[in-house]
Amino acid sequence: MAMPKQPTENQEERRKRGRSNLTWFLLILTFLGVLAGPTMVVLCLGMLPTLVALLTDRSKQKSNSLCVGSINFIGVFPYIMGLWSGINDFNASLVIISDFFNLLVMYSAAAFGWFLFLTMPSIISSFVLVLQQRKVAQLRGEQKDLIDEWGAEVAAIVEVQKMEKKEHHMEHGMEM
Amino acid sequence: MANALDQAVETAAAQKDVPLPQEGEGSVSVSDNQRDTPPDTPSNPPNGTQAGTTASAPPASNGAKGTNGAESPPAPEGKTESKAPASKPKGKSTGIPEADRNAPQPALDPAQFPPVELNGRYLIYPSMALPDLNSPQAMAYAVEDRRESGRQLFALICKPGLPVRTSLMRELKAQNINGMIPMADFGPVFWGPIDQTAVAIVFERPLGGRFLDTFGDRPPRVSEYELAKLLIEPVAHAISELQAIDFAHRAIRLDHLFFMDKERRELVVGECLSSPPGFDQPIIYEPLNRAYAMPSGRGYGMSYDDMYALGIMTVFALLGVNPVARLSDEEMLAAKAEFGSYQCMCGNERIPMTLIEPLRGLLSDEEFERWNMEALDHWLNGQKKTPIQRRPATKPKTPFKFGGRDHMTTRSIAHAFSKNVPEAVKIIKNGKLDQWVSSSLGETALADSIVGVIANCKVNEGSPDGADDVLVSKVCIRLDPHAPIRYKNFSFLTDGFGAALAVEYLRKGNFQIPGEILARDLISFWVAAQSARTPDITSQERTFQTLRGFAKINEMGYGMERCLYELNRSLPCQSDLLRTTYVDHIDDFITALDQVADHVDTRSRPMDKHIAAFIATHFKYDIAPHLKALSDKKEETSLIGLLSLYALMQWRMKIPTLYGLSSWLGGLLAPAIGTYHSRTTRRRIEQEIPALVRQGSLPELFDLIDNAERRHVDTTEFDEAQVAFAHAEAEIESIVGEGVDQNKAALQVGERVTATISIILSMIATAVIIFVQTM
Repeated sequence: MAMPKQPTENQEERRKRGRSNLTWFLLILTFLGVLAGPTMVVLCLGMLPTLVALLTDRSKQKSNSLCVGSINFIGVFPYIMGLWSGINDFNASLVIISDFFNLLVMYSAAAFGWFLFLTMPSIISSFVLVLQQRKVAQLRGEQKDLIDEWGAEVAAIVEVQKMEKKEHHMEHGMEM
Repeated sequence: MANALDQAVETAAAQKDVPLPQEGEGSVSVSDNQRDTPPDTPSNPPNGTQAGTTASAPPASNGAKGTNGAESPPAPEGKTESKAPASKPKGKSTGIPEADRNAPQPALDPAQFPPVELNGRYLIYPSMALPDLNSPQAMAYAVEDRRESGRQLFALICKPGLPVRTSLMRELKAQNINGMIPMADFGPVFWGPIDQTAVAIVFERPLGGRFLDTFGDRPPRVSEYELAKLLIEPVAHAISELQAIDFAHRAIRLDHLFFMDKERRELVVGECLSSPPGFDQPIIYEPLNRAYAMPSGRGYGMSYDDMYALGIMTVFALLGVNPVARLSDEEMLAAKAEFGSYQCMCGNERIPMTLIEPLRGLLSDEEFERWNMEALDHWLNGQKKTPIQRRPATKPKTPFKFGGRDHMTTRSIAHAFSKNVPEAVKIIKNGKLDQWVSSSLGETALADSIVGVIANCKVNEGSPDGADDVLVSKVCIRLDPHAPIRYKNFSFLTDGFGAALAVEYLRKGNFQIPGEILARDLISFWVAAQSARTPDITSQERTFQTLRGFAKINEMGYGMERCLYELNRSLPCQSDLLRTTYVDHIDDFITALDQVADHVDTRSRPMDKHIAAFIATHFKYDIAPHLKALSDKKEETSLIGLLSLYALMQWRMKIPTLYGLSSWLGGLLAPAIGTYHSRTTRRRIEQEIPALVRQGSLPELFDLIDNAERRHVDTTEFDEAQVAFAHAEAEIESIVGEGVDQNKAALQVGERVTATISIILSMIATAVIIFVQTM
């Protein structure tokens, strides 16, 4: 019978940290809810796509969430400003969110955010690729100059490092 | 060049080992009562050996005995060709041994071989040979003195490679020795007939010729009344004056006496400079301990040894014949060992009463008993001296049988053992020897020491220290501590090791056997076996310990080559590069090498083991770091070591220019320049070298190649370049390295940028909204 896997220390730590973050988040949310309830109602409902993006974005950088969230916020912010500049109570916030057009504006902004995130990175990445190739060519040129001046032994350290890396990989492979 | 090659000097020959007959070859034991005097006929040789059964070498009795029956070994590659020396048929009737002198050479064309100048004063004529004045190791030629025309001179051209007695030459140049042939000058000359540089020694010409030649075909007999005045006195003068300057002649023999004047009144001893001490002496003239050594290993000796030779010579002159002519060398040595030299030589002869006393004194086998100059002077002045009573050696109860002979003394056994190692090993290992020493001789201490040697060799069995040759050598030392060290037919006295080493190298081109002797530390064993530790022995022991240290180091400037030059300080450098020159002084060395540079393949290095050892021996400054660098396996380090050494020598010796050597070294420096990492620095050095070569300055060249500041800058900048290269590589790796998905990474960058743009847009929009709302 296979033994159940023991959770590693890192996983345990991450879980603890996640728990404490959630606690803080809820605490702040409660505090803000008490302090600015109407605003929080508009914000929470208007930023729902962002919440969805946050839940679906598995990347470390959370670029998707940031992108959607930022544009989504542009759609939500005018209504919050209206709330702050006019009557700032729960009724007013309910009126705002119950208006289909308002929600359309907010969610369209989020959709635009989604659209930006779907189109922009590929365009930018092609630019980045070109820039990287130029950078590599420039670095290779510098290396060639160094070899011309100092001989192949100038790369000795690099060769040694590569060899060590290879050996390390082989050892690692053997262990596996 | 056939004629020239004929004239080429022969390689010094080694003492040929005379094989002893094996047991059962007609050996007969001699009863004790027969042992009082040596035998006088071949029918009754010492120890009962039948005549003609012993030696395979021609016996000395056949007249002109070669120097110990020497035979010429094959010359080593690159060495002077060997040629059997011609022997003179002089002593055939008398049996008096003579050293072999070179036979007359075919005349050379004066046009092809013009006179050679020595020291700007003497002209030596290769086309005018004087074979009558030849020495065994040197050929004689006519000489003209440019300053004193009409002066009667001749020159001896020594064999290249054979160690000559330069220190004595210097003494003789400064002062004349009465009773010895006067030397005018000496020095190296390029000798065309052999296409090499050799030492030339100029002497006054003996106008009366050789002493022996005056007798024609008659025996060279001198009456007892004339003997002292005519022969003993002048020779004694020579011995005495040489002793005063701390030298021994070591070539006193009947065939080496000359008359300086036409009237034949002034007798002198011939030269002793053209070969190592005692090298040319027939065995009979040598005291027993030196006679057992090979010719080159007989050692410097002392006036005592000259006195012995004088005694032997006196016997020959008195009798006109050799009384032991019928005995072979081996038999003669055995007889001398058993009966004593005087008894052996004069036992069966009628010696005048007046001469018994001096002959007993001169022929004493014990050095401390032998007559010295003082005793001889007393006798010459008519004063009586208490006659020496010979104390006979302890007689064994039974003779020791070995090699088909009965031996009565440990000395004789030791000598026989050294000639037949395989048989000796059997006898030693089966315990017969120590048993005989203990029971028959009653020498229990000696027997115990032999057992100790056997046990020690058993412990080291399988290793070189336990080899049979070592065992026999050590046992021989124990049996006869005063005899030479004998190992694999290489026999020498400690003061003769240097000359023996030089001749061995001349003969074989290697140091195999002497190297083994040092490695096995036989000399320390010999020192330990000596009953008395004289200051001489202690000093020799120290010297040999130092040499052993040198021999162990297999690096440039050390090894056996270093031992060779340490022991033969007047020996010229034996490097192949300097083969045609004669460099025996460090002051001449670097300039000689500079001159050689124009005639050699400059792709080779101006360095080899001989050069390094020669410099290490003669150059008085500390060059250990240079030698270390020189021996480095890396070519570039070795080259820098070489350049630094020669630069140091040029600087210390204050030699202004060395164009040839600078050019030679400059052309070799590519690997040394390659030690700089920077290609720019290398190019700059390469461009600067020709200018420095034209200056002929090795220190400048060295400073260019190995400048500390330049090297430091180069190293520092190289380190920085390495770091920069590594950084660049790391950056490249991060972009296009193994395991990096470039597209994915670019997409991630794109996502990050998009997110950033969105945030910026959001902030701008928020600011605009706030601005619009507040307006």
